[in-house]
This record gives sequence, structure tokens and C-alpha cells, in this order.
Amino acid sequence: MKRSYLGYWFISPWLVGFLALTVLPFFISIYLSFCRYDVVSPPVFIGVQNYAELFSNDPLFWKSLQNTLLYAVFAVPLGIATAFGLALLLNLELRGMSVYRTLFFLPHIVPTVATSVVFMWILNPQIGLMNSVLGLVGVAGPAWLSDPRWAMRTLILMSLWGVGGSVITYLAGLKDIPISLYEAARSDGAGAFARALHITLPMMTPVIFFNLIMGIIGAFQYFTQAYIMTQGGPQDSTLFYALYLFYRSWRYLDMGYASAMAWILFVVVTLTTLVVFKTHRKWVHYGD
Amino acid sequence: MGIDRSSFGKRQLRRLAFLANVVVACVLLAWVAVPRAEPRVFPERIPVRFWHMWSGEWKIVIDKIVMRFNASQNRYEVVALSVPGGSADQKFLMAVTGGDPPDVMAQWNQVIPAWAESGLLVPLDTLMQPAEWAELQRSAYPVALKIGSYAGHLYGLTTGINVFACYYRPEHLEAVGAQAFPDSLEGLMALADRLTRFDDAHRITRMGFMPAGFNMYAPIFGGGFFMDGRLSLNTPRNLRALTFLSESRQKYGFENVLKFESSLNTGGFATEWPFISGQYSVAVDGQWRVEQLAKYAPELRYQTAPIPAPQGGKPLAGFSNGNFMIIPKGARQVAGAYEFIKFWSGVDNPERAAEFYTWGGWLPLSPRITMTAPYQAYVRKYPQFETFLNMLSSENIQPTPPVPFQVLLTDRIIRAEEGAIRGSGSPLQAISTLEADVAREIARRKRFGL
Repeated sequence: MKRSYLGYWFISPWLVGFLALTVLPFFISIYLSFCRYDVVSPPVFIGVQNYAELFSNDPLFWKSLQNTLLYAVFAVPLGIATAFGLALLLNLELRGMSVYRTLFFLPHIVPTVATSVVFMWILNPQIGLMNSVLGLVGVAGPAWLSDPRWAMRTLILMSLWGVGGSVITYLAGLKDIPISLYEAARSDGAGAFARALHITLPMMTPVIFFNLIMGIIGAFQYFTQAYIMTQGGPQDSTLFYALYLFYRSWRYLDMGYASAMAWILFVVVTLTTLVVFKTHRKWVHYGD
Repeated sequence: MGIDRSSFGKRQLRRLAFLANVVVACVLLAWVAVPRAEPRVFPERIPVRFWHMWSGEWKIVIDKIVMRFNASQNRYEVVALSVPGGSADQKFLMAVTGGDPPDVMAQWNQVIPAWAESGLLVPLDTLMQPAEWAELQRSAYPVALKIGSYAGHLYGLTTGINVFACYYRPEHLEAVGAQAFPDSLEGLMALADRLTRFDDAHRITRMGFMPAGFNMYAPIFGGGFFMDGRLSLNTPRNLRALTFLSESRQKYGFENVLKFESSLNTGGFATEWPFISGQYSVAVDGQWRVEQLAKYAPELRYQTAPIPAPQGGKPLAGFSNGNFMIIPKGARQVAGAYEFIKFWSGVDNPERAAEFYTWGGWLPLSPRITMTAPYQAYVRKYPQFETFLNMLSSENIQPTPPVPFQVLLTDRIIRAEEGAIRGSGSPLQAISTLEADVAREIARRKRFGL
């Protein structure tokens, strides 16, 4: 017992911070979501009005939810496929592979704000690198971030910039697959495609599952790039849920309303994660 | 598995000691590296804590004003703190909620109605002597009082009004044979066509003139968003203004204009203004550019003129905002704060304050300041400034409507303009959506008892 006390004593700075700055606000926000609250005046209980308002009378709530779902539906599978594909390539035994692995991982550790600012220049429609390169092959590039038809697609494509983090987890997973499985398959006459389909892919499903869950949660919380690069525009085409929540809380001082939004987000993320968890027994193989 | 103390040998202890040394070194390094607050110059005086959002070249001006105030005093010392603009409002709200607000804050965001409604601000008119208040009401430029007022009280005293006019390059006009700046908006648009240049791929390389800002052009077309004490959004004149903004882009192609505008370097630095690089022949901007051009592009030949009125529109019209000083409820030194506001704004001594306005290229609170010798000397030095001064007295200059949901309203107005000028909907659709959005917000506020 004494030893466990010692452990708690060591983690107490974090524990106090966690309880005071995460757990307590978490529970207080439940109450605030049923209140009218502008930060400076005491909260006034108004029942379920915030929720009723959100569901029945706020087109931007639905728009932001729709944008976020759209992003999640495209960015998450695209990110998984790209990261997995890159990991397969980076798993080849070639000279200088560690350099390539480092290069692909580097963008992951560049701060998001710096990346966003650089991309704003790269994607500048008139003087940006992207359209200049496209111009060389006779393609007139669009106004990537200023055109409502393109802004969301651009952010989805841009999400691939940071796949280096997942590539590392896929690489670790690939290294974990026993060679004996491939040798047995080869001796049974299985070709490269069959080995990838029947050994690599099933053995990698736990890693894919992990990245899927993390990707879904990350997509629902997507904020920084949109806040810096588009501020939700043009014409609300990149107004993500977390961004609208931020505007409601700190721009319009509607903390109660924003708390209700936060709880709806929490429920949506939890339900989506649960659904994915429910299905995982059918497609995730743990090698047992 | 727990910690087995017996396994702690000398080697582990040495490692722990090394780690402890590293931690101590990091803490010491952080202690040295973190900048400490500057010591007070007059520690024996009562401190008046002043927050503002200026940085860089502007902060130098503010520090000079603060120094002047402190030199003029033997009772108070203003202690200035530059707060990052992006989070200043949040910090202010947290400080007020936490019971430790600054004594005075310089603002330019749309905060007065919402903060006054929440009881966060001290009405400045209650700090004035009745005669002083009456004199201010009589003498101040109308727009200066409009910017700082809400529900019959003055919550912010302006220390610099912004109005917007056309800056134009005479050599561009001369090159296309224009003898003078047009006196109608229709004439300006015709001139803009002659001034605009394209490259071989029909991309715009120089824009003659491109109007922007629904809040700017609604008053110019005789409309506006706040008439007779209430919001007025979907009106024929406002619709005409929005249609004008939309059609101005349509003729060059929405996407073409969008690409040109996206290519402009519009960073925060004065030298990055596209007018300086000649990407615009005529550009609408605030009066502070006069001072900046003198400082950063002294060789540039330019003139200023009010945005000309269209047929049936109003002259000397447009949008206005400004810098204003507020005192939060809970401030410890309300008297000291008000003393500083008076000193800077020139309520009690226009002659002295006139100099401060010229340092920042700001438009003054009242004609009493405009008429002072230092200010007149400044106008003689920069004759382009006179355009802005002439506009100040105009009743056609309109600030953002004084409603408690001012920020939301501004966002929706921008959204309506965005919809119209991108061609994704008609101006009528955009203005109808704006009206519906605002009506929905008003209804919501009513339901919520706000």
C-alpha cells in the first residue's frame, strides 16, 4: 500500500492538474449546457433550450456538422490508405531507407501553425508554387482556399501532409508480422499479391483499427488549420464543428450554447467510436 | 511490480543525480530566459494599469503618450501592458470575471454594446461633470460619440476615429488620360476599367479599382444598417449597394478577381499594402495610411478623395470605426483611469492632445482639437489628410449598429457580401438570408430572455 501512495505522490502534480483542469470543467460543462452563460454573468438555468435551439433553429450548427462529417468520411480513409501504402514502400529493404523514413516522418513534427502558413503560400492561386507547377503542364489551378468548391477538398488533401505519424505505427506493425507466415505462404505457392491480401492486410488490421479510431476522433476535433487558413470560409464551406463551437463560445460569448455543442460532439464521437468498436470483431485479426 | 529499493545501486543513484542536475539547469535557464516585468518608474505613485493591443511601431507611439502622462503627473503612474490582439478580449473578460481587471483599456473591437449590456463597463458620462458632458456632446464629431455609445450612455471615449477614403496614383490616371479624379461612383468605375491591366493569360496584374465592404457602400448608396434607432437590413438602397459590389466583380469574372486578390500580400506590415506596389491604382483605406506612406514610401506620389457618391447616393459617406478607451467595472483606479483618458483624448486640453493624434495619424475627437496649431501644422504637412477631416463632420458616416450582438451581425453582413460577390447566389438572396439570420438571432435572444 505504501508503495502505491508513493506512486500517487509522484504523479500528484499531473493528477491535481487533471482533476482541476479536465475532470471538473468536464462535469461543470454539463450544467452549463443547460444554462444561458456569457462568462461574465452568473449562469442562468434555461433547461434544454440550448439543445432545442441547436437542433431546430441553427442552420450553421447543421452546416458545421455536415462539413465535419464530410471531412471525416474522406480524410480518414484517405489518410489510412496513404499511410499504409507509404509504410509498405518504406518497409522495402533498400539502401538509404532510414533517410526516406525520416523524411516522411518530419512533416509530422512540424507545428501545425507553421505548416498552415507555408501552405497558404504554396496554395496561393496566382503566385503559389502549386499553381505555378500546374501551369507548367497547362493546367490552370483553382483558388484552392478561396473558392468554396475547392476549400474543403484542399483541406482534405492537406491532411495527408501529416501522415508520417501513422506511417511509423504501420511500419512497426509490418515489422511485427512473423516472417514464417510469408515463408509458409511462399512454399504453398502464394504470389506477392496473395501474400499482401491474405497475410499483410489481416495482420495489420489491429494497427488500421487503432488509426481509424484516432483518425475519427481527430477529424471531429479538426480546428487549427481551418482557423488559420480559412476561418471557416469561404461561405462557411470550411466551418468545422470545433471552429463554430469556438466562435460561439469566445466570439459571441455564448458559453452555455457552446457547452451544449461540446456535449453533442462528445455523444457523436462516442457513438461513432462505439459503432466502429462493435464491428471490429468482424474484420480485426489479433492473430489468435 | 513495485520499486525494489535494494536494486538501487550506485549507478542508478548517479543517473538520478545527473537527471536532477539537468532539471535544475533547465529551471535556472528558464528563470534567466523569461523576461521580467519592467520596474516601475514612479513606485511611490498610485498605479493605473492600462492594457492596449498595439505592438511594433504603434507600441512606441503609445509608450510615448504614457510617458507624457506620467511626466505630467505627481499622483498617478500609468503602467502600460501590450496584450496580444488576438486574445485580448478573452483576457479582459477573464480578468474582469476573476476580479482583477485593468483600470483602463484601449479597444477597437466591437465590444461596447455586448460588454455594456453585461454590465462590464463604467459609463464614462457618469464620471464627467454635467458641464463637461454637455460640452463634449456639443463639440465632439457625431461619429465619435456614436462609436462609444450604447443605450444612452457613453462607454468608450475615442482617441482616434477611422474613416475611409480613396487613395489614388495620379501617374496611373495621367497615363490613361484622366484629367481629374471622378466625382461620381459611375465615373470611377468607368475609369477603373481603363486602369486595370491583364497579362497574356487574361489574369489581372493591376486592378484599377475594386469596391469592397457592404458596410462601406450601404451608406454611400443612401442606405445603412441602422436607421431611426433600429436595424434596417433588407432595404432597396442596401440591395442596390450589394448589387453594385457583385456586378463590379462580375464584369472581370468572379474567379479572376478572387485569384488577383488572393495573390496580394496583405500582411500586417505597412509596406505590404498593395497600393504601394502599384497593384491598385485606386484603393480605399483609412487615414492612418497617410502617416505610414510618409514613413515607408516617402517618394510615392498619391492623392486622396472621398469615395464619390453614385446617382441618388450620399456624399461623404461610408463606414467608420475607431480606437476608444474603456474603464471596466471593478477597476481599482477609476479616477486615475479617467484622468488618463482625458489627457489622451483632449477633453480637457485639446492643444496638448493634438500632438498625440498626429503621432499616430489619428483623427481627433472634436473640431476643437482639429483647430489647434499642432494639428493644423500636421494637415499642412500632409495635405492628403484633409480629405479625411472633411468627412469627419458628415452625418453620412456610419459605425456598426449598436446592438448587443454586434460581432454576430458583422459576421452575417460579411457572409452576405461574400455570397453576393462570389456569384454563388444573387444579391437579393444574400440580403434576404442576412435578414432571416438576424431575425432568427433576435428571436433567439428574446426566447433566452436576453
